[in-house]
Amino acid sequence: MMEKIARFERSRRALDYLLLLALCATCLMAQNPSGAVSASGSAIHVTHVLGFENIANNANGQLSIQEHTLRFQKSDGSNAHVGVDTIQDLSLGVEDKQVGGTAMAVGRAATPYGGGRLISLFSHKKYDTLTVEYRDPNGGFHGAVFQLDKGQGQVLKDALVAEGAHVTNLENQPTKPNAPEAKNEGR
Amino acid sequence: MKAGRKIQSAVFVIAALGTLAALPPRLLAQTWSVQVDKVDPGDVNIEPAFRVAIYENLLVELAKTKQFKQVYRGGDHNAGGPEVLILKTTVQKYTPGSETRRAVTTVSGATKLNVRSQLTTREGQVVLERVVDGNVRFFGGNLRATHNLARNVAGTIKKSELPARTL
Repeated sequence: MMEKIARFERSRRALDYLLLLALCATCLMAQNPSGAVSASGSAIHVTHVLGFENIANNANGQLSIQEHTLRFQKSDGSNAHVGVDTIQDLSLGVEDKQVGGTAMAVGRAATPYGGGRLISLFSHKKYDTLTVEYRDPNGGFHGAVFQLDKGQGQVLKDALVAEGAHVTNLENQPTKPNAPEAKNEGR
Repeated sequence: MKAGRKIQSAVFVIAALGTLAALPPRLLAQTWSVQVDKVDPGDVNIEPAFRVAIYENLLVELAKTKQFKQVYRGGDHNAGGPEVLILKTTVQKYTPGSETRRAVTTVSGATKLNVRSQLTTREGQVVLERVVDGNVRFFGGNLRATHNLARNVAGTIKKSELPARTL
C-alpha cells in the first residue's frame, strides 16, 4: 500500500515538474524577441495573413518598400508587390494570439488536470496588424492583412505614408479588438 | 434515306432540349457573373482587417461554388455587362472575441459576425437577400470568423435558386 502511495506521489511530482516546465517554456516564447524596430527601407519579418495574390495565407516572409513598391518576399523566393501609389488606405490594429501553433495547441489539449488552460493564460502574444487596401490596374479593389511584431505596424505605416501612400484617416491609432466583448450592433 | 436523316436530327434536337431543361439550377446560375462590393460597415465599429478579410474570403468562397461564370472584384472595369449581379454585404453585428479567453474558458471569448447579404442586378433589383452569421467559438484566431462567414454566404447563395437570365 505504502509503495503504491509513494509511486503515485512520484508520478504526481513528475507531472508537476512537467507542467512547470511547459509554463516556463510558454512564458519564454511569449516574450517579444526584441523591442527594436527596423528602420524604413529595410525588410520587416511579417506574416501574410491574407489578400496578396499568388501568396498563401499565413505565409511568413519579408515586407519591404523598394522604389515606391510594397514588396512581400517569401524565403523560397516567390514574391508579390503593389505600387505605393495604388494604396487607397492603411489601417493598424492589435491582435492577441496564442503562440506555438498547432503543436502547442495539441500539447495544451493533452495536458491533464486542466493544465492546458493555465498554459493558455500565459502563452499569448500581442501583434500589430496592418491592413493595406489597394486597387489593381483594372480598378478592382484588393485588401491584404499582415501580422507584424508589436510596434512595427506604425513604423511601416509611417514609411508607406512618407512614400506617398494614401491614408483616409491619418490619426487612426491601433484599435484594440479584444476589449471585453464589446458588442457592436447596427441599427 | 433522307427521311431517316430528318428523324435522326429531330431526335437529336429533342434530346438536346431535354438535356437543357434538366440542367440543375447550379449550371443555370452560371449564366450570371457576380461582382463583390466592398463590405459596408454600416453603423458597426468593425476593424478594417475584418472588413477586408470578409471581402477577400467572399471572393475565394464564391469562386469555389462554381455558381458564377466569373467573380469580379468591386470597382473592376471589366464587370460591366448586364449578366453581372452585385453582392452587397452590410455588417449588422460584430462581437470582438479573444483567442486567449476561448482557450482558457472555452465558453466565452467567441468572435461573432452577422451580415446582411444582397444580390442585386445592375438596375438595383434585389434578386436575393439573406442574413448570415459567422462565428469562431473554440479553435482558431479571430479572423477565422470571417472565413466561416464567407463560407456561409457562399453556401446560402449556392442553395438558393437564382432567376434565369433574360437574354
